Amino acid sequence: MRVLRSVFRRKMRALLTIFGITIGVLALVVMGSIAEKLSLLVDGGSDYYADKVIVSGTSGIGGFSTEPITTSLIDEIERVDGVARAAGSVMMLLDPEPSAVSMGVVANIQASDFRELGYETFDSDVVDGRALEPDDRGVAVIGADLVSKLDAEVGGTVEVRGREFEVIGILGKTLTAPDMAVQIPLADAQEILVADLPAAVRDTVEKDTLITSIAVYLEEGEDPDEMATVIGQEVDDVSVMGPAGFETSVKEPLKIFNQIIYAIAVVSLLVGGLSVINTMTMSVAERTREIGVRKAIGATDGAIMRQFIAESAVMGVIGGLLGLALGALVGIAGNQAGAQSATELFLLTPRLALGSVTFAIVLGVASGLYPARHAARLNPVQALRYE
Amino acid sequence: MEPIVRVDEVTKRYRLGKQNYVDALRGASLEVAPGEMVAIMGPSGSGKSTLMHIAGCLDAPDTGEVWLSGRRVDGLRGRDLARLRGREVGFIFQGFNLVPTMSALENVALAAEYAGASRRSASIVAHTLLESVGLGDRMRHLPSELSGGQQQRVAIARALVNDPSIVMGDEPTGDLDTATSDEIVTLLRRVNREKGTTFIIVTHNPEVAAACDRTVHMRDGVVDGQVLAVGVYPA
Ligand SMILES: Nc1ncnc2c1ncn2[C@@H]1O[C@H](COP(=O)(O)OP(=O)(O)OP(=O)(O)O)[C@@H](O)[C@H]1O
Ligand SMILES: [Mg+2]
Repeated sequence: MRVLRSVFRRKMRALLTIFGITIGVLALVVMGSIAEKLSLLVDGGSDYYADKVIVSGTSGIGGFSTEPITTSLIDEIERVDGVARAAGSVMMLLDPEPSAVSMGVVANIQASDFRELGYETFDSDVVDGRALEPDDRGVAVIGADLVSKLDAEVGGTVEVRGREFEVIGILGKTLTAPDMAVQIPLADAQEILVADLPAAVRDTVEKDTLITSIAVYLEEGEDPDEMATVIGQEVDDVSVMGPAGFETSVKEPLKIFNQIIYAIAVVSLLVGGLSVINTMTMSVAERTREIGVRKAIGATDGAIMRQFIAESAVMGVIGGLLGLALGALVGIAGNQAGAQSATELFLLTPRLALGSVTFAIVLGVASGLYPARHAARLNPVQALRYE
Repeated sequence: MEPIVRVDEVTKRYRLGKQNYVDALRGASLEVAPGEMVAIMGPSGSGKSTLMHIAGCLDAPDTGEVWLSGRRVDGLRGRDLARLRGREVGFIFQGFNLVPTMSALENVALAAEYAGASRRSASIVAHTLLESVGLGDRMRHLPSELSGGQQQRVAIARALVNDPSIVMGDEPTGDLDTATSDEIVTLLRRVNREKGTTFIIVTHNPEVAAACDRTVHMRDGVVDGQVLAVGVYPA
């Protein structure tokens, strides 16, 4: 209470200083929420890619390609020593021209030939309705984040690329790629894929041999990265990616992106810290006589030091909590606004919340150290003579 | 009787730059008996405040000895000095010497807290003292909500809160009108009689000095004449 009164003796100045911290923490929380969201997505990817090799068309970057390849490659790959199973799938963008710049995973269509059954360990649970089965046609299972965008419910229909699909299931939230996927039967996906091709090529292909990627499951004990090299050598005209490939093509850039994001936020918070130093220095100067009086009535240097550090710490606490609250609001509002287009951009994790506020408090204390030390070392007689 | 304060041939030089300096004290000596109430008078710049600060453990002399309650204190520094002045000495200054963001009660309690009292017990003692200086109904007021005389009463209560053996006042009535000044002096005198607290009061006001047991005069950094109030200063 006393500390608060001292801090708010100059209300405007205190508020502006606190606001400086608030803005810094706000930046840290908002930017951090984006980074946390992306990291989670990518961690999900890491799990998925950890034990397998992905083969896609030569234009593929990091295994994400919509360039068609043929199912004949599946046999070719399965003949390679060490390969247990190869499963074909089609992956396409849900919206052929994504509306805006999007971060994270873009809404997509996925179809598979079911050959991965018994090999794939990455699970996405159907929470409502049922999963796809090999003989299905014209039905869809919807990823958690697309439910509201597509207005999907089991028994209803959704429109995918101008075609109607009956919704038979809804996937549970995985916090990674499947949340943004509409799963449809392979044959339906292949029709869409062919329709996307230029007219000249369209007639020359057999549509039921078209896929866009192959997931390669390995024999026990095979190293996925070594196998990626082997498959690349034995199979022509494909791009092959193992877990290391995922690391370099996705995780590394994300790490750098996250570092930049955090650096920006931390810089803005440091600027807030500078304004605390400034405010505390002014406050000590203004209160020189008060410090002299306090020392005259028995305050030790330590007591004076503690008093001023408490004041700057309080500014850090208030600024930090306000920044966290505002940041959380921005995240919630942003996610709500993005819900329609299924782009949940923010994820405020407990460690981010705790970290941001702790950082603000540490910054408050650190910024108070120098002015507080100056105050503590004032000579009481000089301080009392100060007008 | 052993003096409670003994300042012996004390010097203090303030440096103003590389070449310039001021000799604020040039061998000042003073003895004050327990329970005595002494006024220090003298022209501006004669070293009254400096002498009072040194006698009250707020500052250390360059040379000379300072004894307080039978202890030699001129060699003490920092924390020890702070502890000693917190418990043994009370200070009252001229004007603006309360913490502006604290209530009367908190200002008084603060000195007790600095001396190591808990918040609760500090507050209880402060309460009693404010009542004894006639401010029982002004405890929660901020200094800005009190008159000059009331603020000085708070400062007096604060100076007394740790039951010091000696109280130093640097022109405690300097900012007050005659009537209020008289009230303050009467209050100090009363405390002196009732508790036996020793007072050293720097003043420019002859009436304040007249109310004390004895007046010492300072000139150019030395004490140049000690006048004893008849029958009060023990031989
Ligand atoms: N901290 C300081 N730095 C420099 N000079 C000082 C300092 N304190 C006191 N002096 C000088 O020492 C001399 C004595 O000062 P002091 O304050 O003791 O005088 P005083 O008798 O209390 O005067 P006044 O009646 O005006 O309060 C003065 O010349 C003053 O300018
Ligand atoms: Mg003076």
